[in-house]
Amino acid sequence: MDKNTRVLVQGITGREGSFHTKLMKSYGTKIVAGTSPGKGGSSVNEVPVYDTVKEAMKEHEIDASIIFVPASNAADAIIEAADSEIKLIVVITEHIPVVETLRAIKYAKSNSSTVIGPNSPGLIAPAETMLGIMPSMAFSKGKIGIISRSGTLTYEVAEIVKSVGQSLVVGIGGDPIIGTSILEMAKMMDDDPSTEEIIVIGEIGGTMEERLASSISKGEVKKKVIAYMAGMTAPREKRMGHAGAVVYMGMGTFESKINAFKRAGVKVAKTPYEIKSLL
Amino acid sequence: MKLYEYEGKILFRKVGIETPKAKLVPPIENLPSGKLVVKAQILEGGRGKRGLVKVTENPVETIKEMEAKYGIESFLVEEFIPHEREYYLSCLIDRDTQEPMFAIGKGGINVEEEGGIITKVVPTERGVKFFDAIEVSKLISAKPSSIYSVLKGLYDLVVDYGAELAEINPLAITNEKAIALDSKVIIEDNSLIRVGDTLKSLGIHVSKPSAYVELDGDVGIIGNGAGLTMATMDMVKLAGGSPADFLDVGGGADRTHVRESMLTVLRNPKVKKVIANIYGGITRCDEVAYGIVDALKEVNKPVFIRLSGTNEEEGERILRNNGVKVYKNVMEMVGDAIRS
Repeated sequence: MDKNTRVLVQGITGREGSFHTKLMKSYGTKIVAGTSPGKGGSSVNEVPVYDTVKEAMKEHEIDASIIFVPASNAADAIIEAADSEIKLIVVITEHIPVVETLRAIKYAKSNSSTVIGPNSPGLIAPAETMLGIMPSMAFSKGKIGIISRSGTLTYEVAEIVKSVGQSLVVGIGGDPIIGTSILEMAKMMDDDPSTEEIIVIGEIGGTMEERLASSISKGEVKKKVIAYMAGMTAPREKRMGHAGAVVYMGMGTFESKINAFKRAGVKVAKTPYEIKSLL
Repeated sequence: MKLYEYEGKILFRKVGIETPKAKLVPPIENLPSGKLVVKAQILEGGRGKRGLVKVTENPVETIKEMEAKYGIESFLVEEFIPHEREYYLSCLIDRDTQEPMFAIGKGGINVEEEGGIITKVVPTERGVKFFDAIEVSKLISAKPSSIYSVLKGLYDLVVDYGAELAEINPLAITNEKAIALDSKVIIEDNSLIRVGDTLKSLGIHVSKPSAYVELDGDVGIIGNGAGLTMATMDMVKLAGGSPADFLDVGGGADRTHVRESMLTVLRNPKVKKVIANIYGGITRCDEVAYGIVDALKEVNKPVFIRLSGTNEEEGERILRNNGVKVYKNVMEMVGDAIRS
């Protein structure tokens, strides 16, 4: 993903879609087309709008799509992008029913597309491109990779390490079912020569953080990883804002995540503000 | 959205899971006679341990006792089902395989602590088959046909009714049948756009999801973004304080929404002081500042505010002009709040 990545915006005429198209363009993101059913032929911020992804693909080369479509149609938008074999699909939309998410992600994977999200703030390669809704002033080009399940905490941590700078920052999303896990993202960053160290921002719920820790123990991720986990004080079976931040049947507690990282020799920050001293 | 036991059982019957004959009270009329079970209809778990599930032959008296002692208003009166064995059986979406998964274990009130739960993933492409029931019936020693109805029913609740958890504990096994003695059904909030109307038509309450979680402490917590809000709660705890709540104002909160959120926390009688940790992205710090000032005019308690990000200078100015100190450093804010 770099400044040459050609991007489609699905749901470009909506409030969020049009607003963030403007911000992404001003960051330098190469937005080549947008879609909005029934609005084909119009344009938003000088970006041509099509009714369907297929029609946009006929006129443009497209590498990635970013989805702002409302929750009730967002899973279909993922399937539509995957159908046109778009390789990277970033889903900003939150509140998609989980069963629809899992079917759409399964379909996208079977078409060899990578999905980031849903309920993701997107991703940014500072000074190159941004596919997301992140406040760009928190980022600067550097060597740290950041993987996060939370939006605002991503911005906070990016800003804390701004003087060092980031190679790639990815908000993978706060839903129970998401397209790309912490481990998959960590492996990509492990293979990426522009990243030297990886910061992981996790939270209670699920076992993605534990799976990363076990991979680190096995030597499958070799770069230095620093972790911060939110939700130490969260009560059991209460959902903490994110649909995915809930502990059922004792799986994915704060303690199980911290212990897994400690066993793998990963330094764990007690607060987000401690992360910088652990780099 | 968590359902009451009786609501979960409405869905159970709808998807073919057998439940005991039952009556919802009030009205306290035409109750059956003989050995019965009276169960308080509240959304919190652990009813058995708290004396809110009672076997009785005099339901009217038992109900009056619970009403007087605990102030509970709604009860389920069920026939008592003699049975040989009981089990735990649930269906939920497994995050690792990204497919629905059954969890099967020995029943009882401490099922989660005792462990020994066996899991079985059933992909959505194929759904529940009879051979799944044969396999599970060997663990549960019950007729495969009765287990099949239960598995199929729980699975349908997850896939068709948007349940993020459909749980039976205990599932009673008699010589002929598998009967759900309790229900715990949580409908995924995001699925309400699809199934909300169906639930309403079945007589099930549909409530708006809330971002407010109450805790036991005395320090009110507000943040924007779930992660940042959780991190703020945790920092309060690490600094020796005790959080009273979790409240994420969400992305792009305006003056009115911030005012209402602040008031929700300020009005909690347990709250002695409030910490607000705001990093403005879509959210504008000036809107947040106005919302805070508005709320403090109605309920005045000590507040500790961190404002950074979009329009932070403006936000800072508004708060300072109204006598509220603004922090840039989160640790300093948390420290000052705990020491105050």
